[in-house]
Amino acid sequence: MSGGGQAHRWIAPAQLSHGAISAAIADPIQKRGPGKLWFYALLATLPFVLVTLGAIGAVLTVGIGLSGVNTTVVWGFSIANYVWWIGIGNAGTLISSMLLLTRQRWRASINRFAEAMTLFAAGIAGIFPIIHLGRPLYAYWLAPYPNTMDLWPQWRSALVWDFWAILSYILFSALFWFTGLLPDLATMRDRATTRRGQLIYGALALGWRNSARHWQVYETYHKTMAALAVPLVCSVHSIVGLDFAASLMPGWQESIFPPYFVVGAMYSGFAMVVVIAIFVRWGLRLQSVITPAHFDVMGKVMLFASVVMTLSYATEWFMAWYGGEHPDRDVVRYFFEGDYRWFYYALIACNCVVPQALWFPFARRNLWVLAGISVVINIGMWLERILIVWNTLSHGHAMSLWRTYHTSLYDLAILFGPLGLFVLGFLVLVRIFPIVSMHEVRQISHDEGAAA
Amino acid sequence: MPPLSAPSRREALGLLSAGIASGLGACAKPSEELVPYVVQPELLLPGVPARYATALSLGGWARGVHAIAVDGRPIKIEGNPLHPASLGATDVFAEAAILDLYDPDRARTVTERVSGIASWDMVERALAAPLAQTRREKGKGFRLLTGHVTSPTLLRQIAALLQAMPEAIWHVHEPLDDAAALRGAELAFGRPLRPLPDPGRAEMILCVGADPLGPGPDQIRFGRAFIDRRRDPARFGRLYVAETALTQTGIKADARCALHPADAAGLLAALANALGAALPAPDLPPEAARFAAAAAADLRGAEGRALVLVGDALPPELHALGHWINGRLKAPVTYTAPLDLAGDRAPADLATLAADLDSGAVSCLAILGCNPVQTAPADLAFAERIGRAGFSVHAGLHGDETAGATHWHLPLAHALESWSDLRARDGTASLVQPLVRPLYGGRSDHEILSLLAGEPATAGYDLVRATWHDQGGGDFEGWWRKALHDGVIPDSAAKPVEPGAARLPSLPKPPDPGFAVELRADPCLYDGRYANNAWLQECPKPVSKQVWGNALAVSHAEAARRGLEAGDVVVLGLGGRQIEALVAVESGVADGAGALTLGYGRPRAGAIGNGIGADGYRLATVAAPRLLPGVSLDRTGRQGEVLRTQNYTQIEGETKKLFRQIVLADLPQAKPKGIGADRPTLLDPWTGDADGHAWAMVIDTQACIGCNACVVACQSENNVPIVGPEEIARGRMMHWLRVDLYDSGTPEAVNAGFQPVPCMHCEHAPCEPVCPVAASVHDGEGLNLQVYNRCVGTRFCEANCPYKVRRFNFFGYADGQPYATMGAESIKAQHNPNVTVRARGVMEKCTYCIQRIANERQASERDGRPMGAVATACQSACPTRAITFGDLAQPDDPIRALRQDPRHYALMEELNTRPRTTYLADLHAPNPDLGGRT
Repeated sequence: MSGGGQAHRWIAPAQLSHGAISAAIADPIQKRGPGKLWFYALLATLPFVLVTLGAIGAVLTVGIGLSGVNTTVVWGFSIANYVWWIGIGNAGTLISSMLLLTRQRWRASINRFAEAMTLFAAGIAGIFPIIHLGRPLYAYWLAPYPNTMDLWPQWRSALVWDFWAILSYILFSALFWFTGLLPDLATMRDRATTRRGQLIYGALALGWRNSARHWQVYETYHKTMAALAVPLVCSVHSIVGLDFAASLMPGWQESIFPPYFVVGAMYSGFAMVVVIAIFVRWGLRLQSVITPAHFDVMGKVMLFASVVMTLSYATEWFMAWYGGEHPDRDVVRYFFEGDYRWFYYALIACNCVVPQALWFPFARRNLWVLAGISVVINIGMWLERILIVWNTLSHGHAMSLWRTYHTSLYDLAILFGPLGLFVLGFLVLVRIFPIVSMHEVRQISHDEGAAA
Repeated sequence: MPPLSAPSRREALGLLSAGIASGLGACAKPSEELVPYVVQPELLLPGVPARYATALSLGGWARGVHAIAVDGRPIKIEGNPLHPASLGATDVFAEAAILDLYDPDRARTVTERVSGIASWDMVERALAAPLAQTRREKGKGFRLLTGHVTSPTLLRQIAALLQAMPEAIWHVHEPLDDAAALRGAELAFGRPLRPLPDPGRAEMILCVGADPLGPGPDQIRFGRAFIDRRRDPARFGRLYVAETALTQTGIKADARCALHPADAAGLLAALANALGAALPAPDLPPEAARFAAAAAADLRGAEGRALVLVGDALPPELHALGHWINGRLKAPVTYTAPLDLAGDRAPADLATLAADLDSGAVSCLAILGCNPVQTAPADLAFAERIGRAGFSVHAGLHGDETAGATHWHLPLAHALESWSDLRARDGTASLVQPLVRPLYGGRSDHEILSLLAGEPATAGYDLVRATWHDQGGGDFEGWWRKALHDGVIPDSAAKPVEPGAARLPSLPKPPDPGFAVELRADPCLYDGRYANNAWLQECPKPVSKQVWGNALAVSHAEAARRGLEAGDVVVLGLGGRQIEALVAVESGVADGAGALTLGYGRPRAGAIGNGIGADGYRLATVAAPRLLPGVSLDRTGRQGEVLRTQNYTQIEGETKKLFRQIVLADLPQAKPKGIGADRPTLLDPWTGDADGHAWAMVIDTQACIGCNACVVACQSENNVPIVGPEEIARGRMMHWLRVDLYDSGTPEAVNAGFQPVPCMHCEHAPCEPVCPVAASVHDGEGLNLQVYNRCVGTRFCEANCPYKVRRFNFFGYADGQPYATMGAESIKAQHNPNVTVRARGVMEKCTYCIQRIANERQASERDGRPMGAVATACQSACPTRAITFGDLAQPDDPIRALRQDPRHYALMEELNTRPRTTYLADLHAPNPDLGGRT
């Protein structure tokens, strides 16, 4: 599916000139003030940010006992949140790289904030494994740093693989996002009217002069990075999947986990991109560059992911029965009949049933409906992650220690608080950097033959 | 190379003055006086544990123990192998006594009710006048109230006191005593005799309301003899148990009947009739009648090897009937004359004292080491009655409920702080020696009694020696040293007496058939005296697995009939008195009856034990102290939480997989199950290192009576912290060793057994590859080790442990965030110096007592000999020797044979973890006529 053949599909015809595109994206930052709404939004995120910081401070001083984890269910919200946020973080790079490589031109308008979303989400995700530790101050022991006792991490542990996966993913995402921003930073520098703006954007643009040679190097570099990103996107969530799969617990020890986690990540990531796109489009008045066609395509991707997820769940149930092992069968029975069954039914409704509405073009094009479905998918995917943790640990091999999780106030704080942190990141970002890639949209408008 | 030239003159002076200044700063004298050893005391090597033989009392009876002290600090209790009531093992109460010693809530000073803190001098002055007055009147109005006393010295002192003051009266109040059995013997034989059954010779045993494997002073001896006999399949016999609610004995039973307490008389009568008594035919429910018939047939067929035990809660007449039946069966029971008399005077009871208090006949009341305000039957209203004594003084370990009702309270020294002596159930006497000076300035009961007697202050040491001064045939010092060293006094056991033929008693009128509640000894708090012991509060009860509280156990049918659910708060009412209790719905409880353990609901136990659970004593009466007939039960509509460490015991499909049970008849066909070492694996097989040890443990579930001695021993040995009820409610706990209960039967027909679960020390341990920092590692001797310093607390190891034996410090339970008073300085003194106290955020677990292995290794290397046997803390505590620890690499180690036992199996061997801890299956001999257990 390429936008080339169909004129003006990915960009509204009214604002097709390069100048108009740049103005539409850069002016809200450089010419217009932040506006009341922005301040209100910023104010609204503050309680969440404070709750997050307070919760982190509390868990560092009082101990991980604040969480609802117990002797049997030793993992809880921190792990589920981690997997959820890293899943959200997956979509940005996926959109940037995989769609770039497959020449999905429509990605141009959304890849920038999708990448930013990746960066924030992966950053937030990175907090959770640390605050989930009993002794967070020693988190660095997972790194192979030189020490007098010649101690190394234990390479067979999936957690060490995970440490590298998320570290390289965050570094890569930051690099990819920043270098992708260079031409736009140069544009910002050139459009800046204040000395300070010229200096800051100028420094960040790293001397981009828009020369043909720059563009040639940039294109090569960007494609290479994109090619590198694809395996990385897959690896990061595969390895998160291995955190569970490389165990011997029923419900975790499944070879389907890595691909299933990658698709799940894409699923929730796209859902989050849709939500953010709707907000960005409305808040920054970018209706001209983020068009209904974008939402239509993303809706189809979510539909596809939904079908794959449903198949994955079905495979899990089938394999538990077909494998015939008592613990595996029993844990699946526990999904449906156990202590968390209502959550499980909710998860199936959210991830498998509701998104089937996306078969209908109306649902994909009506932003209210699409936003609703996306939120539902994100709730469903969080439920999936917490249930992976809860179901297996609550109902393991040792029947005498079967028990449930005891959700605490701290758990709720670290569940909802970081959402504010995430929004805060975006609010700051939209005031500093172009939230849509100007040079890539210009490229599209050029390709679509609209640019003067 | 550094410069060789000397510093200049100025530099040298500067360095010199700087050196002097810094040296002076470090030379400040400590404010306290420090006295170094000039001559190292003999037998006190720094860091080397010293063992002292002594004895601890439970209900007045001795269990001989070895108290272990390091650098003068007692840290652990172990059994004394020479003592007949210990046999080298312990029970929970003995293990936990070490924590009681350091309890920061213990009474620290003499107190007077009005003016508060006082001193020993003041109490001596205050006592002088009333005591002088009493002595002038030959003890008229003087009353001494004690718990059950077996101490020869104390009995001698009481006898002397009574001789000096002939009109004084000595009363005894022991809430959980064997008075009914003594009275029964009196009815049957015409004189009070104390029966001592020998389960080692009795193959067919019927317990009616008796729980000899449950908590009590005879638990260790009985359990050991019972299980040792059952190790021989030819003498396995059969255990019949009829009881109100499930007990440890009930779980070990081969045939069990949930019997309403009102039917106990009928059951015994049916049995007696089968043996030739012509009692009126009882009206028994059909199931109980079938049970009685089956039991009677088995008992009759094993004359001389059959035994009937009647519960202490049942009335004396039933005990007399039991004595009669045992006579008919020629049961292996020896009878001894009571040794707990002061001279020839038997003590009076509490009811008499209450009556005398009422009539104003008591001018001076001394209460020594018992807590009648809490434990007396409620209809005595003892707290108010004490107020009618002209002068009252109480001596106790804690400033408890009785201390609050008397004029004076005197701190009593702990058994590990004082000289004394005690007798075991069979009469064997032991010396009690202190390991430390009284921590809180208490005095022993001997010293306090001598104070009451108006004697010049005499040390307990001298009082005890005076009792035994004629021993040793001239060499008293040699005798004394040997008695202290061994912990038993030779040839002091009571001589068996021939009771003669028992008379058939007339049976009492059956009690009110309404809802009956049986008050029982608590398996953790006993009669409540241990309520302030956090180890015992957090020790899961053997059957209910409840911690930090008690609950009224009712049957599923009873709960359904009354619309009750587990956790409901109900009001129990009897005779106008009411208590609130939580409901626990349990298997194996008789319909129309409930069971509640004693010892909870104490208002003045201390910071740990105050206000936890329901106080059964508030319903007890003099007429019905333990079996309460016609109790009303009403719902309050409120809900509480029964805190348990194990929530599931009966799960179809799981229980049978995890807990192997074999019927005796199938034993010849049983084949040992391995650890799954023949299964395919990608991992290399385990190979040890050069020094060639391969530690392993085998636990015989048939022998486990669920007494929890191992659990508390492990806690004591390994500095395992307490988490407290709030943490338990969140599903957290710290015990390295848990005793799981599995029940493959139904709520009506229990088929249960105990399975102690320590770390399995898997050869292919699932916890090891998942740890990102290699804190969970394997050593060359097959131990799965946890390196606390390296642990960052990801908890992946516990997530991946199929046995769930790892324990995480969610808070600093032992590290700055202790429960209640558990962080007190005095408690820290109990810690084993050879075991790290774990920090917050660190995973811990069973180490197979690696410190004991290390000790033995060091000793063997020092002596240039091969390593000898190592006993883990759980193993050495076990009364029935269910736990065997050994070295698989030694060809002659008994553990190798156990691994070939037909009953051998590994827990979850299908997971290919190759555990080093393995099990022997539970064994039962069900009566085919009764069906039931399969």
